Amino acid sequence: MNPVIKIDGLSFGYEFGDSVLKDIYLEISPGEMVALVGQNGAGKTTLVKHLIGLLRPPAGKVRVADLDVANTRVSKLSRQVGYVFQNPDHQIFHDTVQAEVAFGLNNLGLPREEVEPRVTAALSDVGLEHLANENPQRLSRGQRQRVALASVLALRTPVIVLDEPTTGQDYQERKQIMALVEQLNKAGHTIVFITHDMSLVAHYASRVVVLCQGQIILDGDTREVFRQTDKLAESLLLPPQVTVLANQLNEPLNTSVSPVILSVDEMQEYLQRVREVKRNGAGD
Amino acid sequence: MARVIEYIYRDSIIHQLNPLSKLAWALGVMVLALTFNDPYYLLALLISVGLVGLTGRVMKDLSGVMKGLSIFALILVLLQVVFYHGAYREAVTLGIAMGLRMMTVVLSFLVFLSTTQYKDIILVLTEKMKLPYDYVFMFMTSLRFVPTFLNEAIQVGYAQQVRGCPIDSGNPWRKMKAYIAVALPLVLISLKKAERLAIAMETRGYGSNNRTYYKEPIISTLDYFVIFLVVVLIIGAIILRCKGLGVLH
Ligand SMILES: Nc1ncnc2c1ncn2[C@@H]1O[C@H](COP(=O)(O)OP(=O)(O)OP(=O)(O)O)[C@@H](O)[C@H]1O
Ligand SMILES: [Mg+2]
Repeated sequence: MNPVIKIDGLSFGYEFGDSVLKDIYLEISPGEMVALVGQNGAGKTTLVKHLIGLLRPPAGKVRVADLDVANTRVSKLSRQVGYVFQNPDHQIFHDTVQAEVAFGLNNLGLPREEVEPRVTAALSDVGLEHLANENPQRLSRGQRQRVALASVLALRTPVIVLDEPTTGQDYQERKQIMALVEQLNKAGHTIVFITHDMSLVAHYASRVVVLCQGQIILDGDTREVFRQTDKLAESLLLPPQVTVLANQLNEPLNTSVSPVILSVDEMQEYLQRVREVKRNGAGD
Repeated sequence: MARVIEYIYRDSIIHQLNPLSKLAWALGVMVLALTFNDPYYLLALLISVGLVGLTGRVMKDLSGVMKGLSIFALILVLLQVVFYHGAYREAVTLGIAMGLRMMTVVLSFLVFLSTTQYKDIILVLTEKMKLPYDYVFMFMTSLRFVPTFLNEAIQVGYAQQVRGCPIDSGNPWRKMKAYIAVALPLVLISLKKAERLAIAMETRGYGSNNRTYYKEPIISTLDYFVIFLVVVLIIGAIILRCKGLGVLH
């Protein structure tokens, strides 16, 4: 399948600084759910800004949905790529939640009969339908973040980029947001999300890209990436505790065949299997 | 663009000067610029300010602003030519002088501000010049927030563009309408920020009397030299002016 995102040797530095991205190659196929992780200042936000033209790549270096980002308007790219910012206050300005969410749809020129159901759907997706007529300025920060999220999700773009969508959310909301993102992914949207929360990565991402000082140092299946604890440690990243525990228990064995455990449930299942094997072994 | 009047950390002799001597220098430049109206004199002055900026290693950062300023200066010249009642030659000379004067004064203050930390400026204005702290603080803080504000403006622009808001449109009418979506969040953010700043300051004891200061900028021999030089230059300029040099009638 043709990749929906194709980055071909992208390097970048801000006007007065050192280089922030160094020779990035990345291909993402339609329907993938990719987590982009790395330390503060690794260049994650800088990288994803190139996907929607907020930072202009040189011609031919970044293609999204068959558009060359270098010479496509942001407002045109926004039909293909949805982008949720770290700070919701940069976009919120209407005086009802509803109007805020409708803004993007109106920009796309959708007729009213289509805007309304989409707004309602997006709001109920993020669990804010009861606040539809509230003024966003009176909501909590976590709620405003979900307004921002809804206003992008309502656009139903094939690609959705989320820059730390769950910061400042409590456990319940975090799970709700990620479940929603997962559901969108299952419906065919390609997702790229940035996060510092490794348990979210373990739970939701099928692929992990690790950025370290502007370079991709690991890129692969979530289990494969979490197996490489040494490499991850370079970026001061620690897989979820249960994964670390499993890796350590497996250390005396041949690690390349023993499974990488991503959740407590998997661990439990694994231990049960080991116990059964042992019991059977003891029976001989 | 977001870098206008912002302290830029560089290792330079200009950065190490006492804020007072830099302020004296900037004010001195202003006096000189107002004393003369001969374009050659003003050009020399502008070049000298540029050299100070180069020594401070901030000219590259200020080049964007300077480009904008020179366009503005050009407009000044054109306005003079169009509206001046008198000889064409005179009008052009006068226009050029005005443009150069403006660029010189603005550049000298930009060099001053970009090589001096706000807290040091506040410190010398209140402690050495005995200006009331509240007003100095208010003034400097609003200056301090200009770059932050510009940066926010860019971010808000981004946030609206990705929702298809046509601020990158070629059509000026659509573009103007689209800017409402940028202006409103900016106002909201600024109000919130001001409120937060007030709370942050109060909770950390702003307004209780007798403040002390973390670090006092020292006055070195070089500072005395700079201030001496500025005084000499101003006196020299006044003498020249009295002799009728550097002014066109
Ligand atoms: N507008 C800017 N101008 C200059 N330098 C910048 C700008 N934005 C970011 N940088 C620099 O680029 C580097 C990468 O920043 P970026 O925001 O991409 O990191 P990040 O991986 O998203 O970090 P975080 O996890 O904190 O969000 C940092 O060193 C930062 O200082
Ligand atoms: Mg970031």
